[in-house]
Amino acid sequence: MSLVTAVRDYINRMLQDISGMKVLILDSHTVSTVSVAYSQSELLQKEVFLVELVDSISKSKESMSHLKAVFFLRPTSENIQRLRRQLASPRFGEYHLFFSNLLKDTQIHNLADSDEQEVVQQVQEFYADFVAIDPYHFTLNVPSNHLYILPAVVDPPSLQNFCDRVVDGIAAVFLAFKRRPIIRYQRTSDIAKRIAQETAKLMYQQESGLFDFRRTEVSPLLLVIDRRDDPLTPLLNQWTYQAMVHELIGIQDNKVDLRSTGKFPTDQQEVVLSSEQDSFFKANMYENFGDIGMNIKRLVDEFQQIAKSNQNIQTIEDMAKFVDNYPEYKKMQGNVSKHVTLVTEMSKIVEERKLMLVSQTEQELACNGGQVAAFEAVTNLLNNESISDIDRLRLVMLYALRYEKESPVQLMQLFNKLASRSAKYKPGLVQFLLKQAGVDKRTGDLYGNRDFLNIARNMARGLKGVENVYTQHQPLLFQTMESIIKGRMRDVDYPYVGNHFQQGRPQEVVIFIVGGTTYEESRSVALQNASNSGIRFVLGGSVVLNSKRFLKDLEEAQRIARPSTTVL
Amino acid sequence: MATRNRTAMYRKHRDAVKSVRAPLSSSASGSGGPVIEMASLLSSNRSSYAPLSTEDPGPSSRDAFTVGLPPAWVDDSEEVAVNIQQARVKMTELVKVHAKALMPSFGDGKEDQHMIEALTLEITDILRRSEKRLQKLSASGSAEDSNIRKNVQRSLATDLQNLSMDLRRKQSTYLKRLQQQKEGPDGVDLEMNLSGNKSRLEDDEFNDMSINDYQMRKLKKSEQITGEREREIQQVVQSVNDLAQIMKDLSVLVIDQGTIVDRIDYNIQTVAVSVDEGLKQLQKAERTQKKGGMVMCATVLVIMCFFMLVLLILKEIFFSS
Repeated sequence: MSLVTAVRDYINRMLQDISGMKVLILDSHTVSTVSVAYSQSELLQKEVFLVELVDSISKSKESMSHLKAVFFLRPTSENIQRLRRQLASPRFGEYHLFFSNLLKDTQIHNLADSDEQEVVQQVQEFYADFVAIDPYHFTLNVPSNHLYILPAVVDPPSLQNFCDRVVDGIAAVFLAFKRRPIIRYQRTSDIAKRIAQETAKLMYQQESGLFDFRRTEVSPLLLVIDRRDDPLTPLLNQWTYQAMVHELIGIQDNKVDLRSTGKFPTDQQEVVLSSEQDSFFKANMYENFGDIGMNIKRLVDEFQQIAKSNQNIQTIEDMAKFVDNYPEYKKMQGNVSKHVTLVTEMSKIVEERKLMLVSQTEQELACNGGQVAAFEAVTNLLNNESISDIDRLRLVMLYALRYEKESPVQLMQLFNKLASRSAKYKPGLVQFLLKQAGVDKRTGDLYGNRDFLNIARNMARGLKGVENVYTQHQPLLFQTMESIIKGRMRDVDYPYVGNHFQQGRPQEVVIFIVGGTTYEESRSVALQNASNSGIRFVLGGSVVLNSKRFLKDLEEAQRIARPSTTVL
Repeated sequence: MATRNRTAMYRKHRDAVKSVRAPLSSSASGSGGPVIEMASLLSSNRSSYAPLSTEDPGPSSRDAFTVGLPPAWVDDSEEVAVNIQQARVKMTELVKVHAKALMPSFGDGKEDQHMIEALTLEITDILRRSEKRLQKLSASGSAEDSNIRKNVQRSLATDLQNLSMDLRRKQSTYLKRLQQQKEGPDGVDLEMNLSGNKSRLEDDEFNDMSINDYQMRKLKKSEQITGEREREIQQVVQSVNDLAQIMKDLSVLVIDQGTIVDRIDYNIQTVAVSVDEGLKQLQKAERTQKKGGMVMCATVLVIMCFFMLVLLILKEIFFSS
């Protein structure tokens, strides 16, 4: 049930029955879907000799009728329009159309109308409408993600588009797995409820024939939850490899763009971090920073050994061996320099922003008690000149999320200090966050202080001590997964849609977080899957968040929501 | 993984649309009374039905369209692909001959050696020729075509590189096993030993021969052996050189897997960027040309010429009367 394998199977099937030289034409969304799962060299092996975007292709007038065109697009109205224009004056010999989601009948009719030359050979729906960044983690790269925060009355058509895109993505995941799930959602979130209900309508009413798969003993589970139930995880600084790279530099579709952080030679400006293609990354993506440093040093030592022996060519056999092993050597060299560059960059950023200091306080705010000590620590850091504005903002937010009820006076003091110190800080952002994701709005037990069992567990953990101060925090998702495994998820907090009901425990669970996932959470899921509990989890979200992205979404939502609140 | 085929519905609708379009065109000339009346009713002033011909233009134009000829370089790339296939077939033959040569036999083994040499030479030749042809592929052409050409080059280059590495590996295993056989279990050169024994025999039999003679013969023998060794080494060096050369040339064309260059979205971006860059440069050139001092100078000169002409005419009118 790996997402990457599902997408690869779809692409293989698209290309295998078409012989001869091919052109693959994608749109801006499907290009992400295909790029994370399939490489250029693999496309070349399948005789696809040109890849183009559907919007740029219409500008060229050249006719290439010896090529067969394979289109893989999302079935949006703009794409259908572009296709119609293409079909009216075709450039290629044959046209094979594949759509990543359900086509409406009117769209098929429109296409058929424009196909006067009858160049279209097939029209198929291949449901790869999500970006499979890791085997058990997918994202939808929704452009205006901040819409999930706003109430429905603010901009109903945009919110409808958002929900439609999410529902399409979730449906595609289940079609790719050939399953129809029982659906549960987080009661306190309107948008989660809406998405859950619309997905149920699609799967059980509108397209019930398409989703009518062979029933397994226990149906799989789809759980739709809201990002605002755990605002803590995206705000924290990360110290495990994949999450840290995304937090400090930024990963998009498994690519890291280093151009913004400094000057690099051309072949290191953009690098690929994919667990499927890079075995060192696969082994180290969930390890913490200290261990990564050691492993990279070991990798560099190995490489240096090989490099030295390569320079030591004395006999003909040595020469022959060198020529044989050259491609491997070159690949290893590229890989080693990529990881060394990344770790160096991250160390530099950690040093500049004093993240060791900041993160220690963050983790204490997230995990341990002690309001007085926390207040002191945050005040000290706010007074510290070398802490950046965004880190100050995050600290105050973390304090506010935890201690919003305990001493309002001190909280106000922190707000004032923050406003006076940070020039770029938008006033009211922290209050906005509290309004959206404060303790009254949250369902889950974020700090482990609501439920006796959790309090006891925290005390036990405190007594035992932690291995690593910087990775103490465990996302709320971990507790959610545990409660699913034990079959103890409360109906009152996470109701079923309609009259669904689950007997026993599900074997396959897809958790969708509206508002975005984080790499820390996908790490939790991967570790859980590796622990052989008998249940396979898949995580998905509208985007992949880091603290910058999360704050941007909050700011954007606040900006849109503000006019309406001042009117009131 | 679930899929849904919508081709049937699509075809149905397309045929329906075609049949609606067709009768309108074919009845324009015929005596389909009611249809013509309808047509004239609908389009009293418009001449939109004028260009309709009596026959259905669909199939013929379609045929002419789909039988577009591919550009010339496609022939070259197909030839290279055929050569690669040939080379693969010969490699399997080579493997068989290697196996036969390694088996202990009573014969000389010389003809096996010849075959091996001949086959290896053939394969290396094919690879070299294909590689040269592949280099030629990057000749001129249109912009979009060049992308396709580059990708075709890359894919064939990868195949060639894999083949040459395969050949190298097979050669080296064969040589290694041959070496092992010659040396035997003691690690001693049996041949040397045999010849050593022979020389001892010769010693015993001809020990009344002059010392010079015996020494000369021994010298000649060792010269022979050294000569053979040298030739073997030369051969190996030659083939290593050949294949290294091919590899070096090809490695420029081949994509390193797992790097950014192997990403589809990166390749689309770079095409877009270079097309954009090209456009920008063209626009800049246009602008500098327009703004150019040359244009200014030319206009000033023309104005001056007219001015002088007017002066001349005036001078003629006023001062020559």
